[in-house]
Amino acid sequence: MHISLQVNGTPHRLEVRGAETLAEVLRDRLGLTGTKIGCNAGECGACTVVLDGRAVCACLVPTPRMDGAAVRTIEGVTPAEGLSPLQQALVEHGAFQCGFCTPGVVMSLTALFDRVRLPSEHEIRVALQGNVCRCSGYVRLIEAAKAAALRLAR
Amino acid sequence: MTVIGRAVGQSVRLREAPERVTGRAIYTHDLVLPGMLWGAILRSPHPHAVIRAIDVSPALAMAGVVATLTGEDTADRYLNYGPAFADRYPLARSRVRFVGEEVAAVAAETPALARAAAAAIRVEYEPLPAVFDPAVAVAPGAPQVLHGPKLPWNVAQHTTADWGGVAEGFAAAAHVVEGRFEHGLVAPVCLETNGVVASWDDAAGTMDIWAGTQAPFFARKEVAHLLGVPRERVRLRSVHIGGGFGGKSQSPEPIGICALLARKAGRPVKIVLTRREEFLGGKTDHGKVMHLRSAAAADGTLLARHTDYLVDNGAFTHMGPAYISAVRQRTANLYRVRAAGFDGRLVYTNKVPGGSYRGMGAPQIIWAIETQVDELAERLGKDPLRYRQEIANRPGDVTPQGFRISTCPLVECLEEAGRRIGWEEKRANPKPWRGVGIAAMINPSVGVLYPEGNFANVALTLRADGTFLLGTQAADCGTWQNTVLAQFAAEELDAAVERIDVLHMDTAEAPDDLGSAASRVTFVTGGAAIDAGRRMKAEVAARLAALWAVPAEALEFAGDAVGLPGDNARRLDWPGVAALLGPIRVEGHHVIDLPRADPKTGYGHYAATYGFGAQAAEVEVDPATGHVRVLKVVVVQDMGRVINPAALEGQMHGGIVQGIGMALSEELVLQDGMPVNTSLITYRVPRIFEATEIDCAFIEQPDATGPYGAKAGGEHSINPTVAAIANAVAHATGIRFRRIPITPHRLRDALRRKEARRLDLQPWRRPYNLEVAAVRRLYPAIVFPALKKLGASLQRERPRVTDFDHERPANLAAAIEALNRPGRRAKLIAGGTDLLVGIRQGIYGPDLVVDIAGLAELKGIAVGDDVVRIGAGTTLAEITEDPALHAALPALAEGMELVATQQIRNVATLAGDLCQEKRCWFFRAALPCYKFGGAACPCYAITGDNRHHSVMGAGRCAAPCIADAAPILVALDATVIATDGRRERRIPMERFYRWSGETVLAPGEVMLAVEVPRAGPAQAYEKYAQWRGDFPEASAAVRLRQVGGRLAEARISLGGVAPLPMRPKASEATLLRDGLSDEALRAAAEKVVRGALPLRDNAAKLDMVVAVTERALRRARERLQARPQGEDERGAQE
Repeated sequence: MHISLQVNGTPHRLEVRGAETLAEVLRDRLGLTGTKIGCNAGECGACTVVLDGRAVCACLVPTPRMDGAAVRTIEGVTPAEGLSPLQQALVEHGAFQCGFCTPGVVMSLTALFDRVRLPSEHEIRVALQGNVCRCSGYVRLIEAAKAAALRLAR
Repeated sequence: MTVIGRAVGQSVRLREAPERVTGRAIYTHDLVLPGMLWGAILRSPHPHAVIRAIDVSPALAMAGVVATLTGEDTADRYLNYGPAFADRYPLARSRVRFVGEEVAAVAAETPALARAAAAAIRVEYEPLPAVFDPAVAVAPGAPQVLHGPKLPWNVAQHTTADWGGVAEGFAAAAHVVEGRFEHGLVAPVCLETNGVVASWDDAAGTMDIWAGTQAPFFARKEVAHLLGVPRERVRLRSVHIGGGFGGKSQSPEPIGICALLARKAGRPVKIVLTRREEFLGGKTDHGKVMHLRSAAAADGTLLARHTDYLVDNGAFTHMGPAYISAVRQRTANLYRVRAAGFDGRLVYTNKVPGGSYRGMGAPQIIWAIETQVDELAERLGKDPLRYRQEIANRPGDVTPQGFRISTCPLVECLEEAGRRIGWEEKRANPKPWRGVGIAAMINPSVGVLYPEGNFANVALTLRADGTFLLGTQAADCGTWQNTVLAQFAAEELDAAVERIDVLHMDTAEAPDDLGSAASRVTFVTGGAAIDAGRRMKAEVAARLAALWAVPAEALEFAGDAVGLPGDNARRLDWPGVAALLGPIRVEGHHVIDLPRADPKTGYGHYAATYGFGAQAAEVEVDPATGHVRVLKVVVVQDMGRVINPAALEGQMHGGIVQGIGMALSEELVLQDGMPVNTSLITYRVPRIFEATEIDCAFIEQPDATGPYGAKAGGEHSINPTVAAIANAVAHATGIRFRRIPITPHRLRDALRRKEARRLDLQPWRRPYNLEVAAVRRLYPAIVFPALKKLGASLQRERPRVTDFDHERPANLAAAIEALNRPGRRAKLIAGGTDLLVGIRQGIYGPDLVVDIAGLAELKGIAVGDDVVRIGAGTTLAEITEDPALHAALPALAEGMELVATQQIRNVATLAGDLCQEKRCWFFRAALPCYKFGGAACPCYAITGDNRHHSVMGAGRCAAPCIADAAPILVALDATVIATDGRRERRIPMERFYRWSGETVLAPGEVMLAVEVPRAGPAQAYEKYAQWRGDFPEASAAVRLRQVGGRLAEARISLGGVAPLPMRPKASEATLLRDGLSDEALRAAAEKVVRGALPLRDNAAKLDMVVAVTERALRRARERLQARPQGEDERGAQE
């Protein structure tokens, strides 16, 4: 079926299969490989994108549903040059290691910060509870998110 | 001699950080080459079987399939070829020995096609008896897997050693402690699954490989061997790697298969393992049965230790021999022990072959040793920390195994860890159910484990623009290795660290290096980076000296430049040097050159030096549920010198949190050798709520053997974590566990054995239990085998689909039409979080999905005066975010906050929660069980691992109801409204599920909404789950109503414990009779388990459900009492 889909503000017209997920379309069809697939079951959060202001696992979004939708991916929240304040905070705090979970973490926090001006640590944890990170132990991830929230609230 | 510190000791940021945080970093998964095909692997469904025949023709007949590969194509070459231990072909030949073993591979135009084609290959198996328990495997008459040269069946290797005086030590002992310690399979769980892209150039006869491997050196060797080409024709390329932890050590199996497939297909091929495949076929840590004995004199001196191990090799030998050597070296080197002996057998079983995982067995061995040190301290009447300090290794010690200890601040590490955790106070005055524990560690920097020796080489090139490129074959899997190597080179050159780029992995650009494993890169490759810097300086100095006619020794490298001190004319920055001299390339080398330990006994100096450390953990135990929460971990680590504090702290944090997982939740659960918890829900890696406070300190005593005095560090953090937590749990509970992980079920079981009071189950209250109990007794020997046989011929087929049509009807009527379309297998999709996952698991097989996510008729929350109506398609997030709903139905709103994760709640719907399929891991593994295959099939939970299954009300299917909303809506007396398009049906929630837990909805019926009467805020939902968002082990929803100051109604509903939500009527009656006193609440809570009939592993759920019921009752009572006077009548006016 044909769909019209906006990704990071850019319109795309695509012919998609019923079983094709948004994660596959982003990665395999549009070359937006910043969205990672870690489990393909909605359990790890590596494929998190923002859809209608909400963080969702792109591996569980059927693409045919995306006709007329607008999605933001890691590529869309990254400035053309340099880093966003959130990305900057994650880098400064050494909040990640292998980086495979990091785009998903950025998108989960992006959705949170869009909804909540100065989230508490609990709210940060709730937002990231679906993002598995095997390297960092999460400690500096939380610190970085708190620092970014402060910076963004100012 | 320059002062160290320009680069070394600085928290230089991760070099790859900007690429990784923006998603621009390219991992193997992301690579696409022109003309690339996708590969898929067909794996054995049997733990042990003869392959009678393989027919690839159905796959080759599919349009778009380019090549297939079977054992026939792989010549007579073994994987991991090496002298004595080669026993596995890249693809099975004539026999399979574990579930998940690679049998065939396919290359096709798309990933979906490749998977479908692999599934289409017909393999005829003849199943053989299999063995899974290493203790059984070594017993006479066990099924025969393999054996090592001149060894009995199923023994791959047998190593013994008595390093002198063990018997005498035990004979002279005042105290002997002895124990059997066990653990199963733990998986590295890299977030990036194993993947590989292989590209063969037929004209040149060369192979290019991009792959997740920690060691291109080994991967290259393997591929060259399998292809039968010289090593030089194989090139490993640089790529980002999404985690290693040992899970990508040496050459992961898909690499060789992909290379063979690419050559056969004549086009590049990419293979990416699914998460399930990663659990099935990615190597795990080795399971172990460890028998330890420790002997102490009356003054506490450790006289002897003997360790006896059965190491589960799995079906083939990979890291097993190295593992035996690694565990042997841990026998008696931490703490002063006078004598030591070792007996280690590496045992074949029909399980996934063991690999390496961070720590290489150390976390579990240290757990066993440190348990015994605690036990001895107790016998001796000594404080565990002070006792450890007494027996700690000290500089100059030589251990019974021949380790010569040089720098060793172990006493200081223990002291500081104790100070930081508040040891004295917390041991002396423990709070109830809190405990602190301490453990120490030793880790070699670094062990000489490789036949090749232990060498590292790097290339350092001064490029035309004055920047440097450091090339290393060691792979940075996220450890900041590349950053640290740049720091070494920068320090040596006294150049700016930003001036040095690092290219890792590329075998064409860097000389041989054994790669990242065994914490070796900083220590060994770091030495090579320093050597490269030194050689670069020598080369530049020699050339400049000749040009400038000055002695080379007079030239100084300082301040990111080189020159003659005091002579500005003869001073050049690096771009100036490059312009003058042109590019310069040097190679740096480093070898850990030690006399080899005795190959037979392992006696000898094992490493250049040893790192020591201590961790202290504080835990809080919930005695009611058995849940352990780690409140804090202190790590004090001897590091020689810290090269990059930020990087090292990251290693500490990551290792400790992995250690928390290993201690408390992570283990593969196998059914007949097949892992059934191959998802990140059921294989419980720590999530962000499990992350704890970590206090990290380093003791720096530069070690002469290390680069700038550094010791190794990557694995140190995980090594004592399990032990520290287990000792803390023992402090809190008085219980010493002999099996890890310490799951809530095991902890609860252990506590129950100590408790005098027993729950009164009165199973005779349900007469049906008699019949069920009788059948269960016959299950292992008669019922299960009979039904398995019957089911094999009569089971209901579930079609496996890789594609389906997707329709988005404009309205409900159209949706119902599509759902009921003749000749189609239609399923509704809304959130998709169950359906899509279930399709991939093989439990749903629709050819049409009808998308109702956007339908306005199913949306919305209407909070009326008497009734709240919630559209079936309302998402859980919408429910949690609606303030009016929160006020009207707090139990529902709060309950939905505890479901899954934010991403799931954002799309999952109320109807989806209620109608989702069961989460039984046997069913979800698509085993032919009663639920999957129909009435002719058995229930696997009766004999299998049934810790999560029903404790009451279960008959033929023991899968519990795990829909959080179900018990809540039952307690709230809700009504489901459904329609088949012609008429609406109102179904009371209490009758929404059949006995088996299936809903009463007809196949063509759609749930419209749920209506919930408003009955006041005296309602609550409490849930126990292993991680926040996990499916409930047990949950309870409660609604209380008072009329005229008297309790008029008490509704309780339980989740997670029975196939459907259960209303414990006896408990409700107790409350109505006895009121809401603490005693009445407790009594009512205890009665919820009346009539229960638990299975072997799930008795803990009885305690859990009692606990959550009592909590829910208390909270509902609070809400009842918090209401202003006179308002309590409101809910009664129905």
